[in-house]
Amino acid sequence: MTWNGWAQILAFSVVVLLITKPIGVYLTRVYDGSLHYLGAVERVIYRCCGIDASENQHWLDYLVSMMLFSAVSMLVTYVALRAQGHLPLNPQQLPGVVDRQAFETAASFTTNTNWQSYAGESTMSYLSQMMQLAFHNFVSAAAGMCVAAALVRGIANRSAGRLGNFWTDLIRGVIYVFLPGAIVLALLFVQQGVIQNLKPYLTMGTLEGARQVLAMGPVASQEAIKQLGTNGGGFFSANAAHPFENPTPWTNFLQMVAIFAVPAGATYWFGRAVKHQKHGWALWAAMFIMFIGGAAVTYKFEADGNPIHAAEGVDVHAASGSMAQSGGNMEGKEVRFGIAASALYATVTTDASCGAVNAMHDSFTPIGGLVPIVNMQLGELIFGGVGAGLYGMLSMVILTVFIAGLMVGRTPEYLGKKIQSREVRMVMLYVLAAPIFVLGMTGIAAVLPAGLAGRSNMGPHGLAEILYAFTSTFANNGSAFAGLTGATYFYNTMFGIAMLAGRFILIVPVLALAGFLSERKIAAASAGSFPVDTPLFVMLLIGVILIVGALTFFPVLSLGPIVEHFLMHAGRLF
Amino acid sequence: MNDVMYVLATLIFFALMIAYGYGCRALGRDSVSGRADS
Repeated sequence: MTWNGWAQILAFSVVVLLITKPIGVYLTRVYDGSLHYLGAVERVIYRCCGIDASENQHWLDYLVSMMLFSAVSMLVTYVALRAQGHLPLNPQQLPGVVDRQAFETAASFTTNTNWQSYAGESTMSYLSQMMQLAFHNFVSAAAGMCVAAALVRGIANRSAGRLGNFWTDLIRGVIYVFLPGAIVLALLFVQQGVIQNLKPYLTMGTLEGARQVLAMGPVASQEAIKQLGTNGGGFFSANAAHPFENPTPWTNFLQMVAIFAVPAGATYWFGRAVKHQKHGWALWAAMFIMFIGGAAVTYKFEADGNPIHAAEGVDVHAASGSMAQSGGNMEGKEVRFGIAASALYATVTTDASCGAVNAMHDSFTPIGGLVPIVNMQLGELIFGGVGAGLYGMLSMVILTVFIAGLMVGRTPEYLGKKIQSREVRMVMLYVLAAPIFVLGMTGIAAVLPAGLAGRSNMGPHGLAEILYAFTSTFANNGSAFAGLTGATYFYNTMFGIAMLAGRFILIVPVLALAGFLSERKIAAASAGSFPVDTPLFVMLLIGVILIVGALTFFPVLSLGPIVEHFLMHAGRLF
Repeated sequence: MNDVMYVLATLIFFALMIAYGYGCRALGRDSVSGRADS
């Protein structure tokens, strides 16, 4: 590890801290309806779509609206991808996407996952990229914010199950948060050299005299919402390791900040909405402590490198001053970014449900690769996805408050609202879904020939590849241990199901929880209320999150990356 | 044929999610604490 590397991590942390409040204030105004500078645009959209903006929906109506919107938009994308070969803006004359990948991709982008089993530059036309995938990048992000907004209102207000209006929340999220943010980011990316055009692919001559095709496209605009909406799907197969997507250290830094921007601001928004700003900062602190812990572990193990290389006489220490070796584990990493920026990016992208990558996670050391898996298995609530991070964290907060109540023998109470069995039942439905799907589907793939055939590595690393894929798809992350061959009927279909389950099977109990909480009266805090703004609360919250995650996933992790780590030190690689 | 299967599976999934929502509401009502505070 180097001072330069730590300085990058520190600078990133400071910037995230500094943007939390302004973004949080802005989000507050977007979702309490007090921001109106695009009111005319809003009204036109409402009129065209027949939306009654004054309707305050019951949580079940809110849920039905979201499911109908998601179902229709997913099916439209499926049909458009299948018919791509007959549609315009296709200068490479790419054929329609095959059925299994069209299903998986439609599910992937509808659920804000952006898992990709295809190479974008050789599979997707410009129309598919801009009208289907980018559309979902905006609306799936805004839909995640809708669920968070509903839960925030459920906690903050007493409204007999009424949580706002899904359609207005969706549209306000798109036009006030994601469109303006994406426009600014795209311009910054273009200034830094990210390409933005609709040209046919270029054929160039290389220095060796060979011919090479350079893929073109509207990359900057896709890149901006991909990061800001924690979507993560790359325009190119190499994602953010591609020099046209991520050309400079500045774009690399900006992309990481964009990933955390809205989720970090959401903690401040929540604090304001419930009139308990210190509690919002307590959530931020819990997220930050887990983030910095993960970044430090990943950076250390990637900087330490592979002991087998060291035994062969390779200088693996970056700080040794050797000019011959960069040090550490550089396999699968961009030389332009190095170890610290790659480790940090991997941590950030898996803390949030982004999934963009600037290095190949499959080539990380076993423990370096373990951290991204654990980040996703904890529920992606370390800042997390846009909206999803906040509602995931609040679900764990309610579990924490419930456990604290059990410890002191009082009826649990959260921000003046009693937490009783029906709220805890919803939290349990939320918590139990991950082990059922991730462990269940990993187990199925680990025993069926169709699942085993996808591995490119044997032993514990092969298991880690399968585990990573189902963890990533269920967590709606979308990053991959790229060693797994997922473009098969078995995996495309299984991953499609995992992504849909990971999104919507979690959203249903969260909206129910929001509805139930909105029916509770708000009592004034008393001496018996568990304070939710103290270091003790932060530590208890982290403890609950880690214990739930450890109890659930430690056995399978011990069979994958953990045993791989010990075998690596015993001289065996996979 | 596969197209029909994938489209049907999608529709069935979202129908099940709506049913799941009603199931959660029933689970809340069934609870002893399911009454809104007075």
